[in-house]
Parts: sequence; structure tokens; C-alpha cells
Amino acid sequence: MKKFKLSTPVRYAVNLTLTVLLWVVLSAVISGAGLKGEYFRGIVITIGINIILATSLNVVCGYLGQLPLGHAGFMAVGAYAGAIFMKSTPAAQLLRAGNTAAVVPYVIIAVLISAVVAGIFGLLIGIPALRLKGDYLAIITLGFGEIIRVVLTNIDSVLGFKFTYGASGLARIPKFTSLNVIFVFTAICLFLIHVFMKSRHGRAVLSIRDNEIAAESVGINTTFYKTAAFVFSAMLAGIAGCLYAGYLGSLYPSTFKFMKSIEILVMVVLGGMGSMLGSVISAIVLTALPEMLRSFSDYRMVVYSLALVLMMLFRPKGLMGTYDFSMGNSIEKIVNRIRSPKKKKKDGKKDAADSADAKGVQA
Amino acid sequence: MSNVLKCEHLRVVFGGLAAVSDFNIEVNENEIVGLIGPNGAGKTTVFNLLTGVYVPTSGVITLCEKDLAGMSTIARNHEGIARTFQNIRLFKDMSVIDNVMNSFNTKMKYTMAEAFLRLPRYWKEEKAARKRALELLHVFNMERYAEEKAGNLPYGSQRRLEIIRALATNPKLLLLDEPAAGMNPSETENLMETIGKIRDQFHISILLIEHDMSLVMGICEKITVLNFGEVIAQGTPEEIQKNPVVIEAYLGKKRDF
Repeated sequence: MKKFKLSTPVRYAVNLTLTVLLWVVLSAVISGAGLKGEYFRGIVITIGINIILATSLNVVCGYLGQLPLGHAGFMAVGAYAGAIFMKSTPAAQLLRAGNTAAVVPYVIIAVLISAVVAGIFGLLIGIPALRLKGDYLAIITLGFGEIIRVVLTNIDSVLGFKFTYGASGLARIPKFTSLNVIFVFTAICLFLIHVFMKSRHGRAVLSIRDNEIAAESVGINTTFYKTAAFVFSAMLAGIAGCLYAGYLGSLYPSTFKFMKSIEILVMVVLGGMGSMLGSVISAIVLTALPEMLRSFSDYRMVVYSLALVLMMLFRPKGLMGTYDFSMGNSIEKIVNRIRSPKKKKKDGKKDAADSADAKGVQA
Repeated sequence: MSNVLKCEHLRVVFGGLAAVSDFNIEVNENEIVGLIGPNGAGKTTVFNLLTGVYVPTSGVITLCEKDLAGMSTIARNHEGIARTFQNIRLFKDMSVIDNVMNSFNTKMKYTMAEAFLRLPRYWKEEKAARKRALELLHVFNMERYAEEKAGNLPYGSQRRLEIIRALATNPKLLLLDEPAAGMNPSETENLMETIGKIRDQFHISILLIEHDMSLVMGICEKITVLNFGEVIAQGTPEEIQKNPVVIEAYLGKKRDF
């Protein structure tokens, strides 16, 4: 029997339909939940931001195999860049007047600015930092992340102007991060990571993780690809920061402390380094868990920590390991199984070889 | 016949130790040359000099009459030197076909923007690369492993995949570092066939390091013997087998009591 295979356009159409469906269901549930919906909305937006942060860190951590600890720094840069831009536009008045459609272009520009500024910082930090590996890289990025935070705290009083408003915080940022905005940008970011990884560039990044010396020996420009992945990850973190600023409406440098980087890293490690699905799931769980545990608030952090410890004990490689999910492949597998359910018993060996062939020929 | 590789008076010194001194070799087109010698003779050091991992203290390396001085490993690969490693260095967590397709990286021309937007050139080049990778795997009967994780392959296949990956960069000179290490006699025989096949089908020169004398004597046209970083003999397999200096280096001197 001929194997069932999905063509690439069909795969894209399936994924797009599912994404739109999720969007419709999510917004219907939240708008139907009344007052409680406002609470859910907040959680969903935080989840969206954390998904972008976790998956972007996963690019460097899981795919490139380096360990940076300064991710919150890039988030801060993006947040301040986007917030300062949004404050300079008439977006606040438009939002107050309820004219959300008119704000869209400003939001897009703000996100792009955040991405570019965070990307520039990623480049500046990445070029010297990526000469080091392992724990050395961790420490140097940790240092850079802290430098960004300290500069944001002190730059106004040193230079004598009102720009980031130092430790007192940047307030009255237009609150442009609605459910729709977060959904669209989360989907775009996930798609961008996917297409980056499923290209010659993504393969090069993965090969550097697996064996840098061998990657060089087949002509991969390792310095370039390391920097590229680092910058790409920083840009996405910048986008997350921008959306974060638009959600809270005020920014304080103390938000972007070292612990924030660790929080994101925990999500990546828990989800499984090198698995985008893992990062997404653990971002959802780790954001929702503290909220769900609110009813016994005294023991909240105990349960949270316990969950982390148990996870690492029983699944040391993370929730998903390095498994990456593909909707198209899963559908193919299921259909093929339904079509020839008995074949496996008769000729197990051949079927195993067949399914190995069918697995992700396209992806 | 013209030279593919030519080394003249190659010398490298680590601290006070001359790991390789006055190393000369010529590898002609379509030729299989063996590099042998006892442990610690400097064979792998020579490979590392050729691929630009170490910088020679003095001496000249030319590839097809082009001086390779000052070139990085990456640039030398682009010039046409590909290698395998003594201890297998595959991209273990990638699929077999991705291991091969990764070698096409520099030959594929689509930019990052084209990848992000999935423009036509992306699809065209990816499809062509996939096809070529499958063809290459087919030559070595590895097609059925295409979607398998490279780390899960049996040992012999991993060695073969490393050779395929090196070949995929379309080299003029292939350096094989102990390709038969850890193989049983039948696998070694298989490998000999493979190496011959590579030379005939891809028309490239091969320089190989090997301890397995049946393999070296069986397929090499010329052999260079190293001991303590110095070339002690050069010639055909028959000449090398009879050479008293080589026998001494391997087995020691006959002593009169």
C-alpha cells in the first residue's frame, strides 16, 4: 500500500487552521468568562510572554548548546526600547479613545525596534562572549546582563536627563498588549524559530552543538552561526520584553534581575533542552502552576520547588528531551497506523523500516 | 599526473619537542597514499597540520599548487580538504540525512531572509540538497538509515557516515584517520572496497592513516612511514615491507648475543 504523505502546503494549512482555531477558542472562553476572564487574560498574556522567552533561550541553550545566563538583559533592552518608542507616539490617547485598530502600526514598529535594539546588544555581547564556552560563557553573559540592569538603573542620574527614569521606573507606557497582540506575536515567534531551524542555517547551528570541531571540518563557519543564533535569540527576547512592557504599563530595572534569567532557564531545562514543544509546555505549566496553587498560598513555593525537584529526578533530560513535535508527521503516523493496523503483526521488521522512512521526510 | 597535495619540509615544534620534522609528501591525482608509523609517530599531527588545526613552525603545504599558509580549517575545507576523525565525531543528535546535508551548507546560497520567508530558492535548494544527500547515501547503501539518528547507527555505519559527510563537501583530497579502527576483519574488508569505490567514483585523492597492515598494503599505492616525527621510508607497499629501517621501527633491532 502506498504510504500516506502530506504535502508541504497542506502541512502549513493544517498548522495555520489549528492556530486560528486555538485563537478563536481562547478568546471565546476568556470573553465568555466575565470578570474571571480578566484574570485569565492576564495569565494567558504572561504565558505568551514566557513562551517567547523560553523558546528564544532554547535556541541558544538547546539548539546551539551554549549556556547564557543574561537573557533577562536582552528582555530589558527590548522592553525599554519598545516602551520609550510607544510613549513618544499618540498610542496612549488612541487606546484611551478605544481605537485599538489605529494602534496596530505603532505596536508593529515598537516590536521591530525592540527586536533590532536587542539584536544589536546581542551582537555586541555575543562577539566577545561566544569565544568562551560552558561555565565561562555563563559567567560572562551573567555579567553583561547585570551591566544592562545597572546601567538602566543609573544612567539618568549620571548623564542628567530623564529617559529611563532610573530606579523609580518608567511609567505610563500605553498598555497595548492585548490578547490578540500576544497571540499573534507568540505564533510569529514560534514560526520564526521553526523556519530558522529547518534550514541550512538551523542545521549548521545544530551541528555546532553536536560537535564543533567536526562542524568546522565540513566547512561550517562556526563563529558566524554562533553569533547569528545568539543575536536571533536576543531579538526574540527583545520582542518578549516589548510585549511585557505593553502588558504591565510600567517598567522597573529590578524586574530584570539575575533571577529572571534563571526563571527562563528553568523553563528551558524543564521542558527539555532542544525541544520547542517542551519549552512551550513548561512555560505554560510554570506560569500557570503558581497561579493555580494560590488557594494554599502558604505552601505555594514549596509545591513549586518540589515539582521542579521531582521533574529533574524522574526526567533528567526534561519533559520532552530533544523531541520536536511536528503536526504533519503525527497526522501521517496516525493515518498510516489506521490504514494498515495488522501489517505490524505479520511483518514487524518491514513495517518498522517503512515507518522509519515515513518519519519526517519533509517536516 | 599533477600533484593534489604537496608538503615540503613541514615542521612543527611543541615546546622543545619537534612533533613533526622535515615531512615531505606528494599525493597525486586519483591516488591512495598511506601514512603509517608506530604510536606517537606524529601521524595525526600531520593531519592536523594539513587541516589547519596546528600552525606549522616552518614548511609549505600546497593544495593543487595553492599555498594553504594562514588558512583556517573552514577555509581549507572550502579549498578542498575533507577529513574524518580517529574517534568518531558525528553530529549524534541529528538525523543521518541532516548530517550529510549539513556539508552542503556553503554550496547552498539562500540567505537567512529567504529561509525565514520560505521563498522559492529555499525550496529549490533544499529539495536538490535532499536529493543529492540521498544519492550519496545510496552509493554506500545507507539510504535506509536516512531518517535515523546518527548516534543510533551501528559502529561500522557511523564510520561510513563520517566518510560520506566528508565526501559531501566535494573535496579534492580526503584524509582518513584510522578508518578501520575497532573494526573486525570482515568490516575492514568491506571498508577497503568502500575506499576503492570512493576513489573510482569520485575521482579524488585519499591520504589515510592506518594501523591495519592488510588494509594499508592492500589498497595504498604509496606509503610513507613516520617515526618520532621523521619520515623514515617512502615507497610502494612491497618496498616498505622489505625496508629494514621500517622493520626496526616496528619490531626493534636484531641483537647479536
